[in-house]
Amino acid sequence: MTAQLAAVAAPTPRRWRPRPGAVVGAVMLGAVLLLTAVVPLLPAFDPMGQDLRAALLPPFADPAHPLGTDALGRDLLSRIALASAVTLGMTLLIVIMNAVIGSTIGILAGYFGGRLEALITLLSNVTLAMPVVLLLIAICAVLRPSAGLTILVLGCTWWVGYARVTRNVAASLRRQDFVVSPLTQGGDTFWVLTRHIVPNIWPHTLIIAATDIATIVLITSSLEYLGLGVQPPVPSWGSMIFDGQRHLGGDPWLALLPGIVMLLAVGGAQFLSQQFTAETRGGLLRKGGMR
Amino acid sequence: MTSVLHRPERGGPSHSVADVLPFIARRLALAVATVLAVVTIAFVLGRATGEPGALLLPDNATQAEVDALNAALGFDRPIIVQYLDTLVGLVTGDFGDSYRLRESALGLVLERVPATLELAFWAFAIGLVLAVAAALAIQLTGSRVLRAVAGWAGAVRQSVPDFFFALLLVLVFSVLLGALPSLGRTSYASLVLPVLTLATGQFVMYLRLLDASLSEQAGQDFVRTAIAQGQRRSTVLFTRMLPNAALPVLGMAGLNLGGLLGGTVVVEVVFAWPGLGQLLTTAVSQRDFPIVQAGLVFVALAFVIVNTAVDVLVRRIDTRTAAA
Repeated sequence: MTAQLAAVAAPTPRRWRPRPGAVVGAVMLGAVLLLTAVVPLLPAFDPMGQDLRAALLPPFADPAHPLGTDALGRDLLSRIALASAVTLGMTLLIVIMNAVIGSTIGILAGYFGGRLEALITLLSNVTLAMPVVLLLIAICAVLRPSAGLTILVLGCTWWVGYARVTRNVAASLRRQDFVVSPLTQGGDTFWVLTRHIVPNIWPHTLIIAATDIATIVLITSSLEYLGLGVQPPVPSWGSMIFDGQRHLGGDPWLALLPGIVMLLAVGGAQFLSQQFTAETRGGLLRKGGMR
Repeated sequence: MTSVLHRPERGGPSHSVADVLPFIARRLALAVATVLAVVTIAFVLGRATGEPGALLLPDNATQAEVDALNAALGFDRPIIVQYLDTLVGLVTGDFGDSYRLRESALGLVLERVPATLELAFWAFAIGLVLAVAAALAIQLTGSRVLRAVAGWAGAVRQSVPDFFFALLLVLVFSVLLGALPSLGRTSYASLVLPVLTLATGQFVMYLRLLDASLSEQAGQDFVRTAIAQGQRRSTVLFTRMLPNAALPVLGMAGLNLGGLLGGTVVVEVVFAWPGLGQLLTTAVSQRDFPIVQAGLVFVALAFVIVNTAVDVLVRRIDTRTAAA
């Protein structure tokens, strides 16, 4: 009886149900996170130590180096784990910076409107019409490339999506009774913003952030492939693949292994974020102007 | 890498004074503002790393020699004069000479454009044609398997950056099979791998867009009516649904051009393709700012012109946006 009821209730959109893609995504991303968390705890963890006598060992050949070694004899498993931590950490920082900057700008623009909003609309239209990735490459290369610079540049430039959506949501919230009413009764603007506007907006921010993670990983990796980002000897997925490219003929695993880990992380993040977007499809987010 | 540029499309209400201006005038003003912004960024970048004299001359050059070179390149003038000079150069097409090659920077940029356009054009054309074919096949057969396969393959392709997908192609077709060249631009065969890298990314993006558009229309009244009247499914698909789906594709194509050019930069580096991207990345690492400036402005200009044209075109075709 209860089983029958559950079967009937299942198709309703209100009931939370993981999509098969989301489960796969969680497993993929979880595997990478596990690798990142566990490998540094192993006694053999040594991403920097060189051993030229043990250079270019294939995977599974030597128990001391489970995934083999690179051209300088550095342990590949350790380096991949460190690279994952570096790239994922950078991505997280960049996404948080963009989410905070974009949502703040969007809320202020949507709530107050007027000149501020006109300015922000112009600014976001200009950014949308620019070859952003090309500019990022130029900026990161001209100023001395480093992890901090990449975080700063990407963290301050990729917020237009957040600003657009939150602006529209804030503008529609501004007209709602629960916002207008406290204002007419002499309520404090700051109080209304923090109590009524922000709690209704951060779910939207979170959804964009979830879809943005994959995008940011791909951009930072591309920059790192071009040598713009984390500098050696600290590894990153992009720079490891660049280094491995030279050995594609004889030792392809050098480029393949970090690439596969990246595929797991990015694919996992994308499948997981589709769960969020699917659930809110047709809801407020649509009205917010995202397609 | 193309997926990287998938950002929310423009849209939503704007309440600026500019709303009263005619649409095209507003769009042109935006184009000018965008190009100005890019020029300004390029200018600031060029000045942020200091004067070029010390960078270009050997280490044992005297201060007097450095100063003389800076003066010869115009770096001794007030910064505002230099900026205005750059803006004048933008209008006259004079971006100065390359520091290293002593040749017109714009000339060097234009020399590389055909190679880049070749990659971008074929990637776009092949990706789009295959996407249309696949979307039509999914609609005509109504096959769930086909859609699932396309969906999962697309998700995997979008989960790896262009440079890694390119390496996979090189590994299979150059290293293992020895069938295709992996470097340079020597024959039509060397076009295959870079184009394939970019085209697969384009394919996934357009297939998603087309499939969403066609599937949405499939449930609508005008389609059901046409089929109920006895029209064949394929006729309805080709004459009614496909033209409607062309509009979002057109809009996406304009916005995506920047992504395609950005992706081309990385792919050119992977395949040592002698295009604009390779020129720019080299110039950037050599601090050859006239080339960087000319290249960035050229790309921005191309991007803005295509985007403006697409916007105007979409607005002319789509009566819904014209009314807004």
